[in-house]
Amino acid sequence: MASEMELVGTEVEAGPEQMIEAENVKKWFGNFQALKGVTTTVKRGEVVVILGPSGSGKSTFIRTINRLERHDDGRIVVDGIELTDDIRNIERVRSEIGMVFQSFNLFPHLTVMDNITLAPRNVRRWPKAKGIEKARALLERVGIPEQADKYPAQLSGGQQQRVAIARALAMEPKIMLFDEPTSALDPEMIKEVLDVMKELARSAMTLIVVTHEIGFAKEVGDRVLFFDEGLLIEEGTPDRFFSNPQNDRTKLFLSQIL
Amino acid sequence: MIPGSELPTDLERAPLIIEEERAVEVAPSKVPTTPGEWVRQNLFSSIFNGVVTVLSAAVVLYFGFQLLRWIFVSADWAVVKANLRIYMVGRFPLEEVWRVWASAYLVAFLIGLSWGVSGLRLRWTPRKAALRAVLGVAVLLVLAYLLEGLRIWILTLAIPATVAAGVLLGRAGSRRLRGVVIAGWVLVFPAIIVLLRAFDGVPPQVWGGFMLNVLLAVAATFLSFPVGILLALGRRSTLPIISKFCVGFIELFRGVPLVTLIISGQFILPLMLPPRMQLSLIVRMILVFTIFSSAYVAEIVRGGLQGVHFGQYEAAKAVGLSTTRMMALIILPQALRMTIPAMISHFIGLFKDTSLLAALAITDALRAARRASAQLEFIGDQKEALLAAALLFWVVTFSMSRWSQRLERRLGVGER
Repeated sequence: MASEMELVGTEVEAGPEQMIEAENVKKWFGNFQALKGVTTTVKRGEVVVILGPSGSGKSTFIRTINRLERHDDGRIVVDGIELTDDIRNIERVRSEIGMVFQSFNLFPHLTVMDNITLAPRNVRRWPKAKGIEKARALLERVGIPEQADKYPAQLSGGQQQRVAIARALAMEPKIMLFDEPTSALDPEMIKEVLDVMKELARSAMTLIVVTHEIGFAKEVGDRVLFFDEGLLIEEGTPDRFFSNPQNDRTKLFLSQIL
Repeated sequence: MIPGSELPTDLERAPLIIEEERAVEVAPSKVPTTPGEWVRQNLFSSIFNGVVTVLSAAVVLYFGFQLLRWIFVSADWAVVKANLRIYMVGRFPLEEVWRVWASAYLVAFLIGLSWGVSGLRLRWTPRKAALRAVLGVAVLLVLAYLLEGLRIWILTLAIPATVAAGVLLGRAGSRRLRGVVIAGWVLVFPAIIVLLRAFDGVPPQVWGGFMLNVLLAVAATFLSFPVGILLALGRRSTLPIISKFCVGFIELFRGVPLVTLIISGQFILPLMLPPRMQLSLIVRMILVFTIFSSAYVAEIVRGGLQGVHFGQYEAAKAVGLSTTRMMALIILPQALRMTIPAMISHFIGLFKDTSLLAALAITDALRAARRASAQLEFIGDQKEALLAAALLFWVVTFSMSRWSQRLERRLGVGER
């Protein structure tokens, strides 16, 4: 990615060093316990990659961080704000966290430009011109400045996902969550999305990425978390994690995907 | 080649089945046919088809001839001609009818203005132009029979002229007039009520005819649309009081025959209100039709809401939108677009249901037809009288359905 674009939307002011604190987080869906007590801390500017077999609770965990799922037990504090049932806290936290979904979830009735400017204008109360300027810079950054006036359905999957990243960045979040952002993409489009994510990872942004892209984890990850059956069972730097896994289940998982 | 496999090892000599695997199949080109060929291919392609063609042609011709003969020869349309005013405005006093004309021009102008501002243009393919010309001549012929006197001709022809004036002005002003148009539609209904009533006008008890059907349907449509949306949203509320109330409201009023509600509105509602708060008949009827319609609108909207993917809710929440903004900006626009066909069907139905006013002693268009054919000199002309009322309703409902198709096409541009 172009280096002169590097700082658009990623100015991060100083604050407590802990960006996200999760303490003994538990979550049930009916009788099924998806999270069985997850404890971890994410530092400001850290890039955390979460791995694990499907159904291991990794998606559920990152969705509790912006309260798309309510945690049933434990404690989550995001940038000094504890997530409780208080809707004001939830909305404050959500406006600091950008999220990118597996199935893009762009707003199909709005143009690319409107998709990106909607939240800044309505939540941050930006004037129209500022929103458009920001959106143009972001589209430039994700490499599709010429698509601003199209509708999502007119774009390829890779382009849609890059718009989704721009939409999340438009709110100038401190944290970005990626929930399997490349899993719904055709192979030839995965790279274009990963390139954008790598550029983000090298900026000062805090990133949590659920993915199966081991290359991404090795290249830009600061830390890898491995989930299985609702538990965080192993973590470490990518070097250590991939070369010398400790847990048997981690070894088994890695032997299957590497 | 894998050793021992049963495929031929020498692929170049392997027989290739070309006939069955033509890679590109070209669509058969349409050869323009002469009328004679067309008839042979489409109507007489086999003996059986020939027999069917001849028999059905005979049936169609017979009934077509009978119908035309009845319309132009046997039927006596004098009953419609003599009662035209009752059809249109009921027992509205003659010397006050100018108020209705003024209202009609107001609406005609607004329709023209909206049309002009929205930039819709009629497409004039030769076929459509011919069809419209035939339709125009037919309408003029009907009017030529019905209208007598220069005054009423001028008043009638001024309606299309007003629409045209609105279109021209709308095109000239274009986007700048958008606010004016919206304000116009919001204000037009109260304006008409004032126009009909105020300054020693006509009390609602004697309003009637097709005018009343239209007024009632339009008022109930515009009121029940927002109320129905609120009910649909309320139904999904997490607060039990709100959701239970909405479910109760919807199930109660959707499950009761409209005639029951109309009669309750006429006879029971006044008993329930304190003497000082009595509502006029027209207000009570608007209330009844709005309540009835909003229960249906709520269910239609609920269907639309269910059609919106849950990912849309999550994405809206994730970018920090509050629940209200999420519904207003993301969910409802998508849900409502999906409901257009069902919604228009419902409003067409509602419009026709206004003829149930005939259950009360209100002279709407349908009752006007029955009254007209009960007059001494027109005894036996029931068919003509009822057909005229049916035609009035059909013209409006057909226009509504055509308009909704345009709306759908327009809102569908570039999406999904």
